[in-house]
Amino acid sequence: MDASNDFRLSRRGFLASACCLAAMPVMTPVSFAAAPGDARFVTIILRGAMDGLDLLQPYGDAAYAGLRPKLALTPDTGLTDLDGRFGLHPAAKSLMPLWQARELAFVHAVSTPYRNERSHFDGQDILESGGADKRERNGWLNRALATIPRTASRRAIDINTSMELILSGPNDVDVWSAQSDVALAEDEVRFLERLYAGDQSFSKAFEEAVRTDMSTDPLYAGGKRGSGVADMAKLAGNLLARDYRIGSFSINGWDTHVNQKAQFAQVAGTLALAITTLKESMGADAWSKTVVLAMTEFGRTARENGSGGTDHGTGGVAVLAGGAVDGGKIFGEWPGLGEDQLYEGRDLMPTGDLRELAAAMIHKQYGVSVGDLTTKVFPGLSFDAGSVYLRG
Amino acid sequence: MTLSRPTMAAIRFGYGLKPGDENAPASAADLMKQVERGAKAKARFPREGFEGRRETALRLLSVRAAEAKTAQAGKPNPDLRRDTLREADRMLRRDSFARIMQAVYSHNGFFERLASFWIDHFSVNARKTYAMRMIVSLFEAEAIRPNIGGPFVNLLHAAVLHPAMLFYLDQNRSVGPESQAGLRNGTGLNENLGRELLELHTMGAGSGYTQEDVRGAALILTGVTVDGRTLAVGYRRARAEPGRLSLLGKVYGEEGRSDADHVAMLDDLAKRPETARHVCRKLVKYFIADEPPAEIVEAMVAAWTASDGNLTAVYQAMLDHPRAWDGEGQKFKQPFDFVVSGLRALDVKEADMTALAKALDDEDAEVPLRPDEAEDGDDMVQAEKPGPRGADMGRPDAAASAEDGAASDIKKSATKAAAPKPGFARAVTFGALRRMGQPVWQPPSPAGFADDAQAWLSPSQLSERIAWARLAVRGLGKDLDPAAFLSTTLADAARPDTTKIVAQAPNKVHGLTMVLVSPEFNRR
Repeated sequence: MDASNDFRLSRRGFLASACCLAAMPVMTPVSFAAAPGDARFVTIILRGAMDGLDLLQPYGDAAYAGLRPKLALTPDTGLTDLDGRFGLHPAAKSLMPLWQARELAFVHAVSTPYRNERSHFDGQDILESGGADKRERNGWLNRALATIPRTASRRAIDINTSMELILSGPNDVDVWSAQSDVALAEDEVRFLERLYAGDQSFSKAFEEAVRTDMSTDPLYAGGKRGSGVADMAKLAGNLLARDYRIGSFSINGWDTHVNQKAQFAQVAGTLALAITTLKESMGADAWSKTVVLAMTEFGRTARENGSGGTDHGTGGVAVLAGGAVDGGKIFGEWPGLGEDQLYEGRDLMPTGDLRELAAAMIHKQYGVSVGDLTTKVFPGLSFDAGSVYLRG
Repeated sequence: MTLSRPTMAAIRFGYGLKPGDENAPASAADLMKQVERGAKAKARFPREGFEGRRETALRLLSVRAAEAKTAQAGKPNPDLRRDTLREADRMLRRDSFARIMQAVYSHNGFFERLASFWIDHFSVNARKTYAMRMIVSLFEAEAIRPNIGGPFVNLLHAAVLHPAMLFYLDQNRSVGPESQAGLRNGTGLNENLGRELLELHTMGAGSGYTQEDVRGAALILTGVTVDGRTLAVGYRRARAEPGRLSLLGKVYGEEGRSDADHVAMLDDLAKRPETARHVCRKLVKYFIADEPPAEIVEAMVAAWTASDGNLTAVYQAMLDHPRAWDGEGQKFKQPFDFVVSGLRALDVKEADMTALAKALDDEDAEVPLRPDEAEDGDDMVQAEKPGPRGADMGRPDAAASAEDGAASDIKKSATKAAAPKPGFARAVTFGALRRMGQPVWQPPSPAGFADDAQAWLSPSQLSERIAWARLAVRGLGKDLDPAAFLSTTLADAARPDTTKIVAQAPNKVHGLTMVLVSPEFNRR
């Protein structure tokens, strides 16, 4: 039950530990807040635009295989069938016990209100701020804190500059980070290669750094990246089992423009590991009262591009996990992948609002009123207690 | 493509653009005003000021001398030795932090760059001896900085005859072989200071002087000593080599040896044409290109000659040359410049930096010395000094000491009072510089740090910079928009490719990181 004593952690973001910078190149922080009661809520932000069509493949849709000759799988080629229409990517197979235990659900074809421009920065801002207005500078999860009825006195304020937007705001939040690091994600390495392409000396130095240090250097240990994320999830799980009720962290690496097959498998495996580690470190009791919501800024193009990857799209997939989830099902109205069914002829058409999903989970976990959710947390959101996400 | 003057003024001749800096230089004239203002400004180090620092240093030195005496009598006091060492290390850490702050917040970027140039030209290492930890900041503040805009000869005197230089180049070990002391003790000449004076400080290697001249300079310097207890620089006749001593064809001590001899020698060396050429070439190499364009050097040498070595005139001649303003990107920023310009670009508020400094102080008060800062011993071993590719560039795992403040028990840690961030403060400032091979005031040799791209642009250097940028961005840049950050940081120096790639980054942290690790941010 008490899994906490076998790991070390350092407080508040940075290197409580270290003089050694590169020993800890990226502290992806985990932000937490206390709330009364036992219900837990964890958000995982999948930065870089997760390809929902790859994680949860609509192999039953007649158009799917034709759109993605390289990426599409079937139950015969490794996909794990979920309901006869959708299958789970093989790299996320370790989530299947949760599915079978009805602790895992997916929401297909969801998105934020962000449309058309497909910029990661703006998309993530809206995902975290929850506002249609991208200038909103505090996070919806922080605003939600103020609406949760409190009995206990508030925790001391502990502002840390590394907090991510989703939990930033006037309400008390603590930031912790695991001792170990998260290496550069594959997509980040690709971007650096492009950045250096025009400068031979840089290009050569970077290529050599990546090549020689791939396995040992924390910065480039792509193959070992999962362990850093797992440490983060373990830290989150341990803390959520105790004082904290709300937590958030990010997993980078989803911007799969090229060679998606290998890159996606790696990062999808990391996401699965994060979820199973959370469950394990939280313990059965805490897990039974938990909802984990993993979400991304937008989906990716329905068609593969010429580089074996996909480009920025619109509708995507959200993942729900936890003992408090009404699991074993796939939510969302499937829009279809036919030519005339795609958004702007290229993207999965969004049929659900991610904000509604988030509001439903906060309502379910903490009993926050519909009025508060539609005025304070997500101003202007259309949501009521009859939401599809709350139907048993 | 030629960049705008304000961009070049800030990036090539200063520590980079800082958002909203109303004092940003736009022209050569603005830069020259910085030289004038900078020389008069008070540096942020040593923290207690000149007199305060001398007092502290003298107090600690006498405490340690007293201990050494009782130790000789068989009663050593290791606690006292440890505590006084810690105190000196603490001073060095604070001063190192202050030196970074100085460069980040100064409105006189060109002057600050010149200060870095000259402290490197007259290299001393803060870890050479116990006292050096306390007086190297003093050396820069009182000997170098006030003389940067004046005649070279003044700077030369102040630097060469400062206690820090005399300790560093072993002047106390140099005794005239035929002097009273030499004859009595059989001690001899140490050529270190004489050699570096010719090779590094004035004429430059390969400029035509001989080994006999090196010996001559060393002999002329005999008698100059620094008192290890009082830090007073003096002239002790008993150690001075008697007789007529010659250097470069000129005879010193013709009328009997005195402390006027080495003074005259420094005056003469400052006037040598080789010195003018050596210094001017090095300045152009430092600011403009690893292969200095000859015509800029010639223009500066001419100004040097015409002004009798007035450095302000020399800098002016450099800035007046049109070629000083083109061909951007040929210099690769040294680690200090990278870190300082990065902190400027991130527009770290002074109050935040002060809070970091305070966190370091608080930590100093309670945390035992970390192994990496343990006593080096009073005589450094050359091979162990850090350098661009030195052992420091390794990537040790978080050491056992790294677990300071970490808790194995969550509850205990969670209820702790808001912890400071000393680890972060170190990691974004002098800790990063150590990892990148350029620890503050700790050059690898009397020749200073390497100053060409070949020495610095390595895979491990690039990795360190990426790691630093990610850390700094996470800790200090969370509200910035990458595209806006690129434009305030690099203005017209940003290449179209970089602009495009940064805007497409998969997350903001990576977008901001790429600005700081882009080729154009690391070049000038």
